[in-house]
Amino acid sequence: MLATRKWLEALSSPNGVLKTVQRNGRQHLSKIGMPARTQDPWRLADLTRLEELLSLPVSSETLNSSSSEQDSLPVVPQDRFRLFLDSRSDLGSLSLPDGCRLLSNDELERFLGQTLDKCPSTTEWPIAINQASASCVLGLLISGKKVPPIEVILRANSNELMPTRLLIILEEKAELDLLQVFLGEANSAQSHLLEIHVGSDAKFTHSWLARGSGDSSLMSQISVQQDLNSEYALNFIQYGWEFARFESSLLQVDGNANSTIRGLQITKGIEQSSTHSTVRFDGPEGSFDQLQKSVISGSSHSIFHGLIDVPKIAQRTNASQLSRNLLLSDRARIDTKPELKIVADDVKCAHGATVSQLQQEELFYLQSRGIESKQATNLLLKGFCYDIFENSPVELENWINLDQLLVSLQ
Amino acid sequence: MNSQKPLEELVSQPYKYGFVTDVETEKISKGINEDVVRLISEKKKEPKFLLDFRLRAYRTWLGMTEPNWAKLGYPVIDYQDLIYYAAPKKSQKKQSLDEVDPKLLETFDKLGIPLSEQKRLSNVAVDAVFDSVSIATTYKQKLADHGVVFCSITEAVNEHPELIKKYLGSVVPMNDNFFAGLNSAVFSDGSFVYIPKGVDCPMELSSYFRINSGDTGQFERTLIVAEEGSSVSYLEGCTAPMFDTNTLHAAVVELVALDNASIKYSTVQNWYSGNEKGVGGIYNFVTKRGHCRGIRSKISWSQVETGSAITWKYPSCVLQGNESTGEFYSVALTNNYQQADTGTKMLHVGSNTRSTIVSKGISVGRSTNSYRGLVQMGSKAVGARNYSQCDSMLIGDNASANTYPHIRSQQPEARIEHEASTCRISEEQLFYLQSRGIGFEEAVSMMVSGFCRDVFNQLPMEFAAEADKLLALKLEGSVG
Repeated sequence: MLATRKWLEALSSPNGVLKTVQRNGRQHLSKIGMPARTQDPWRLADLTRLEELLSLPVSSETLNSSSSEQDSLPVVPQDRFRLFLDSRSDLGSLSLPDGCRLLSNDELERFLGQTLDKCPSTTEWPIAINQASASCVLGLLISGKKVPPIEVILRANSNELMPTRLLIILEEKAELDLLQVFLGEANSAQSHLLEIHVGSDAKFTHSWLARGSGDSSLMSQISVQQDLNSEYALNFIQYGWEFARFESSLLQVDGNANSTIRGLQITKGIEQSSTHSTVRFDGPEGSFDQLQKSVISGSSHSIFHGLIDVPKIAQRTNASQLSRNLLLSDRARIDTKPELKIVADDVKCAHGATVSQLQQEELFYLQSRGIESKQATNLLLKGFCYDIFENSPVELENWINLDQLLVSLQ
Repeated sequence: MNSQKPLEELVSQPYKYGFVTDVETEKISKGINEDVVRLISEKKKEPKFLLDFRLRAYRTWLGMTEPNWAKLGYPVIDYQDLIYYAAPKKSQKKQSLDEVDPKLLETFDKLGIPLSEQKRLSNVAVDAVFDSVSIATTYKQKLADHGVVFCSITEAVNEHPELIKKYLGSVVPMNDNFFAGLNSAVFSDGSFVYIPKGVDCPMELSSYFRINSGDTGQFERTLIVAEEGSSVSYLEGCTAPMFDTNTLHAAVVELVALDNASIKYSTVQNWYSGNEKGVGGIYNFVTKRGHCRGIRSKISWSQVETGSAITWKYPSCVLQGNESTGEFYSVALTNNYQQADTGTKMLHVGSNTRSTIVSKGISVGRSTNSYRGLVQMGSKAVGARNYSQCDSMLIGDNASANTYPHIRSQQPEARIEHEASTCRISEEQLFYLQSRGIGFEEAVSMMVSGFCRDVFNQLPMEFAAEADKLLALKLEGSVG
């Protein structure tokens, strides 16, 4: 409780378009206090890292990012649009491509929080932290199919906690290809709250790369609301954070929509990375396909908790969830909980989970063909991760050196 | 074709074990405190070590809270409004069956459990427990010839105190959970089985539990110890009369398997489940755990759960001995307003340990049927394997089927596979069978039976027949 109070006291007074949200968030946070192990969603979490996170000051708006930092990022291909979301960027002066516009302050006040409230609930604490502190918010309205792929870069500097909030609304029949890149320097933290409303017949291809380093932390919350006949596909990769918690909550408002989630988390050292995903169908004939993979090495801890909720109204739902985990070290730990809650009787729902190390037979096969043990291991690990990359934009490869990453695990 | 309605009518057959036997019972007054614990111990003429055990458990229990993670919906239980001990009067263990109250024998006959040995054709020894007290144990002499001890736990306390001292509470400690703590304080009776070294138990052992009083809590305790190289198969059946109040049943079962020993524990649970409006029925809050202590030991749980208003039960295996094996085969059928939250825990401690989980849930009416399980590979469980399969069948669109598996591994050289699926009795399948001249009831029964086949195959012969009959009764209504 003390940590929360201290943190709240250090915040600057509520201001800007998120003034009310901040005020409510702070009130709520002081009411709920720190999460406890006795609360189910936090049972496996390393709570000391949450306190460490609160010891960082919230990023201030006065700092200016130097141009040299920007130069170190991969070059933006011509047909893509890149923007930075952090407290230092002047979001108001952004010139956006056709088919995409910023939401006005009035619209933000009207739409912010709507999807969040509607979707199956995620854990309160990370949301309250974000609401209490975020002053940086971006709202995008997408219409039409001609919008170029957009990249949103979120980069936290050392010794700061950077809270950001993003709201994306896809109008009817709109299409968007979005890549979000989270970068965390040593001893930095990010809190990100994302709301997505996919209108009917709209299509959203979402890629998410979260690359931390050192003792960085990331807490991210996605709420996705899908209207009739919409499509939402998420490919996410999370690695390098000492503490990472990814929560997604997906709602098919009237069913009849398509959702796909492919996730990969790679952990090493003493990292703890968790993915919590909930999906609910509030109408019939929805489909959902999830593949969640983890590669766990060193003394790290990987957690997956997935829930598929099919109420009575959601007849003829087709949902599946698969959690596949590679445990590479005898000090590493994996906890996986793929859960089903079903009331409708005419549905196809399945889930599966596997935990193992690399198959000796496969390694032997490669070695017998003259491939060295290390290389063979690397090849198999790459193959394991490939599913996630397959459906991601090729630009993702500019951001992640998979070979190097996989070698560092061994 | 509208199959929904007849299907639901079909599965809503009356409970046939709902009669009350009119025998004089001796009850103590309601409520629980240290004096009640002492009184129970005194009534059972127990040695001091057991009274101390009970008192310790009672004090531990006072500091515990009822588990709420299963999110079962039931009103708060007033533990002071329960009777903690009830027994048929003149309840001293009978020397021969002729001395047993004929009404009691009749009860067990009605249940299909003839106790008189000469009438018994099949090779099964029975321990019958009526309310809290063991009434009769059959085939005692024949078992004793093989060195097998099969008696009520009260007798065991007096005749084999060293075994009770050594093993009671060693698998399910008194502070394990709220209900196990309560049971440790007030357990009344139950069965004790001891299989000496190298002995294959010559016959199936069986307990039959019957609740007769409406306001009495049931707290039986079963302890089975299989010494090195021995094996035993144990069957358990349960029924209760129909009352419109809820009765609490909080049992504890402990199994210990030493080197190369094997225990097979089968349950057909058919406590009264309440009426079609969800009034009455048994709260079945049971802690069952087996400990594979020795190398290559094996514990196999199989259960057919059709009764109880609420089932909260997770028969588990602690696989400590290297190369030990744990198995869990379960069929859970819920109807009306029944709630079942059942599953298993497989804790792999030793190397090369194996476990298999097969769970089949059938939800009908407005019931809730959940599988909840944990598979844990400890850091020393090198080469351990687990395979789990959880299938749910939904009949009607008001029932719910939930699956909550938890998989945890700290050993890269362990392999875990889990799969789950949901299905229903589809109209196409029904139509297919019916178009081939198979009646509606028979077609449904065939499909359910096929769905449960993997589990029924694991039950001992006698029980497989009973389980089939039970499901048929719940599903068909034509078989008596």
